[in-house]
Amino acid sequence: MSGPDVPVLFELAGVTKTYGSVTALDNLSIRVPPGATGLLGPNGSGKTTMIRTLLGLIRPDKGGGTVFGMDILRRQLDIRRQIGFSPEDECLFPGVQGIEFVAYAGELVGMPSTDAMQRAHEVLDYAGLGEVRYRKVESYSSGMKQRLKLAAAIVHDPKLLILDEPTNGMDPAGREDMLRLACDLANNKGMSVLFSSHLLPDVEAVCGHIVVLAGGRLLVQGGIRELKQAHAGSFELRLKSEDEDFARRISGLGCDVQIRGDMLLVKIPPGQTAALLWRQAAEANYQIRHLRPQRSTLEEVFLKAVEQT
Amino acid sequence: MCSQMVNTVAGSAEVKPIVAFHDASKWYGNVIGINKLTLRIMPGITGLLGPNGAGKSTLLQMATGQLRPSQGKVEVLGQRVWNNPPLNQRIGLCPEQDALYEWMTGKDFVATCARLAGWSRPDAARKADDTLEAVGMTRHKSRPVRGYSKGMRQRTKLAQALVNDPDVLFLDEPMTGTDPVARRDLMDIVQQLAAQGKSVVVSSHVLYEVQALTPNIILLNRGRLLAQGHIRQIRDLMDQHPHHIVLVSNNCRALAAELFTHPDVDGIRLIPKDSSLVVETRLPDAFYARLPQLAAQGDWTIDEVYSQDDNLDAVFHYLVNS
Amino acid sequence: MPIMEQGYQHWSGRLSGHSWRWLAITRHGVRIQLRNRFLRYVLFAAWTPALLLVGMLSIWGLLERKSNLVATFVEFMRFMNPNVIADPRYYRVEIWRLSYGYFMHVELFFSMILILLVGPGLISQDLRVNALPLYFSRPLRRVDYFLGKLGVISFFLGMVTILPTLIAYLFGLLFSLNLHVAVQTFGILVGTLLYGLIICLSAGTLMLALSALSRNSRYVALFWLGLWFVSSVISSVLAGVHHEEIRHAYFYNRPPAQIGAANPQGVATEPGDRMTSGLPQDGMANARQYWRNFQLQRLRDSQTDWRPMVSYTANLLRIGAHLLGTNQAWEKLAKLEPDTWRRERLLTRYAGPRYPWYWSAAVLAGLFGLSLCVLKWSIRSLDRLK
Repeated sequence: MSGPDVPVLFELAGVTKTYGSVTALDNLSIRVPPGATGLLGPNGSGKTTMIRTLLGLIRPDKGGGTVFGMDILRRQLDIRRQIGFSPEDECLFPGVQGIEFVAYAGELVGMPSTDAMQRAHEVLDYAGLGEVRYRKVESYSSGMKQRLKLAAAIVHDPKLLILDEPTNGMDPAGREDMLRLACDLANNKGMSVLFSSHLLPDVEAVCGHIVVLAGGRLLVQGGIRELKQAHAGSFELRLKSEDEDFARRISGLGCDVQIRGDMLLVKIPPGQTAALLWRQAAEANYQIRHLRPQRSTLEEVFLKAVEQT
Repeated sequence: MCSQMVNTVAGSAEVKPIVAFHDASKWYGNVIGINKLTLRIMPGITGLLGPNGAGKSTLLQMATGQLRPSQGKVEVLGQRVWNNPPLNQRIGLCPEQDALYEWMTGKDFVATCARLAGWSRPDAARKADDTLEAVGMTRHKSRPVRGYSKGMRQRTKLAQALVNDPDVLFLDEPMTGTDPVARRDLMDIVQQLAAQGKSVVVSSHVLYEVQALTPNIILLNRGRLLAQGHIRQIRDLMDQHPHHIVLVSNNCRALAAELFTHPDVDGIRLIPKDSSLVVETRLPDAFYARLPQLAAQGDWTIDEVYSQDDNLDAVFHYLVNS
Repeated sequence: MPIMEQGYQHWSGRLSGHSWRWLAITRHGVRIQLRNRFLRYVLFAAWTPALLLVGMLSIWGLLERKSNLVATFVEFMRFMNPNVIADPRYYRVEIWRLSYGYFMHVELFFSMILILLVGPGLISQDLRVNALPLYFSRPLRRVDYFLGKLGVISFFLGMVTILPTLIAYLFGLLFSLNLHVAVQTFGILVGTLLYGLIICLSAGTLMLALSALSRNSRYVALFWLGLWFVSSVISSVLAGVHHEEIRHAYFYNRPPAQIGAANPQGVATEPGDRMTSGLPQDGMANARQYWRNFQLQRLRDSQTDWRPMVSYTANLLRIGAHLLGTNQAWEKLAKLEPDTWRRERLLTRYAGPRYPWYWSAAVLAGLFGLSLCVLKWSIRSLDRLK
């Protein structure tokens, strides 16, 4: 990931920011390509500070960077024109209807008021709030408020959409919708998305690339698929009924078997394939209901990375 | 939607339920919170799920004695829970709301809660220390609550719920806003508590977290009980919904052609980019029974097999949306 | 394409420049406030003095041209000194000054009411629902935010002070049909506009600062009322106490022999003095003279009396009086009175406090600075840890 022709969404070089005795960002250098990127990290790792630095709201003590090629120290307002941000905490403009909320959000970026109103209608339909657009925003449920924040963030068609915990407080159906929208924007509509969340399955569903911060520093960066390496020759296995007999059978053939709950973690001897397990199941009349190569989950990747610090 | 309520609780007469709702209803003016709910929660860890507005908070509040049922009875540990202070000593609640006394230190806060529960001052301090240690907050207990991160606040709330050494613990969205590290810690704590013999009821929106904690769930929708029991048994009973089973093979088409010759397969969809196929069947048992022979048959290999809807998301989706 | 894309579509329009961001905030704020029916009624009511001002200037214009239309109105102007009506051109500037002075006095009252209706929610509601991250994640600086909010207040204040001023000026010019009027009275126009601007800036930033201190707009409204009324009450109380002290000192601490003696400060009685001429030089006349001397001394003391400055609105009025030159106007009108004492009495009754204007200017500047500090402190930029 180097060289001048590789497109770069944003880049930070040696950024340091301290508040009194707390170092929020510690010599952070990072380069992120366009597309959907997940931003992960324990609480207090500097994610919020990094997002604010990208938005130009924070002046770093040392170091600098660029967003879309524009210097974050000098062209903050221009950068913010092309970014849409959905903050984590509850935010509203007081006393307006949903449609006015989104139109105002657009006008604040500089859209002409007729364009803003027209875009607001489009974007509210897209976010699934079409039915409630004429209600006062204070009467919205928390799921609707999250969608409203998303709508307000995309009304001016930004190049980068930063979502900070967008599924907070939403029920499973709402979460599915929100992730579907984020996926659609990132994959089909050419918008880059920076998805900051603690819910790792959400990040996996939307992003292909993750960045892990801890203690103000970059821990891990890379594609999700590459990071979740498959362990060669290791499988997760589940049978119809929990039975120790099968485990004994295959460990007798040289497999290394561990029991975890109702799953068996099987490491087959080198040179063999899964066909070995099928043969045993056929002979002993067992039903294999789940057989997958063992892959570390994103959670394991994350915890391992964080524990190393 | 199944025509009958899906209930797979093995009703053994010797094991008494920790929480029992007998035809309980609760309405607020015209708005109904819980609608003729009959429910028995067994000891162990149970997940409480449901979309927004399903009545989960109402259920939790009724089970902890904060709300009086408009109709019916609510019993915890065999006694009626409304207006029953001695019973409340055996119940712990970790609420969803984040309203702690910000100026107090963690230890002061838990000690205050202990004193409110009736412990004397020295006992309260000791209990506070014990529970804070159980949740792993000993290092931070002397700092004011206002400086705590979200994970620390959740742990503090859990500590105050444990101060009475309750037999039943109710956790309302215990892991919102916590980072994966804190989440892992909280899950470990809950599992330890269950291992010590306490019963825990966890209400959450985040399905995969509940799935990681326990396979026993209660699903509410619109104030009524939708399903209760072990996830897989619920899934098995939902026979109107075909199962989707994914097979990864090196020769999908040939395998698909072979599978089609059997009557229990309703449909097959090929996904070339993953070299996999998704089989739709209403008789999963028969299908799985045939697989080992099929795998050994030779023209193809079956590298992976798994069910797409063997998880809570799918169960939830089917039950709630039908 | 027969089937159109239904989902998200891109937008390729032009965004306006960075210096106009505050206008979006002002427009939005004004639109929301105008939905309040009560506010619209108050605005309407606030235009009545404007009509009276227009009427007054038009009549004076007609009077100058000795038009017949004005004959009926002369009846209503009996309260004025007939010398003034006899020579309208000589007194034109004074009458204009005084008309504008009274107009702005009333409009100051309406301004305070309007600020009470419009102002409290401006920043406090944003704080309550946490709108600031939404604002600052867009291309706006804190300055734009404050200017936008100040713009909302200034719009309404301008509607009642600046707009009627301009319109009345035009009418006055039209009715007098004399461009020389414009030359003479231009200073009044500029002064009034400046006065309106100062009200906007001072009261506006003060209200924004109060609004930024609380999340509940009712407390802010109460605080504003307190600032307005309580400060006036305290000011009157202090002035009253001061007056009593002086009176006490003057009348009760003098040895009896001095009562009746001539005032050592030597204000001589004048020949035409109706009060004492022709009366025997007995104790009664001396007492009256003594009383009059006391009044004169008190009136001169008032030139350095700081107590009126305790009331916030009094400071604005003092600045206004200076900008419009109403004190000079009264002095010119007072020259029509026969003696010093009556002149001073007229001035006290109508001209208002006479301490130096720059004291009030300092107070207002101080409050302005304080408001800016409060705003800067309470709307912290997002350059912080939490």
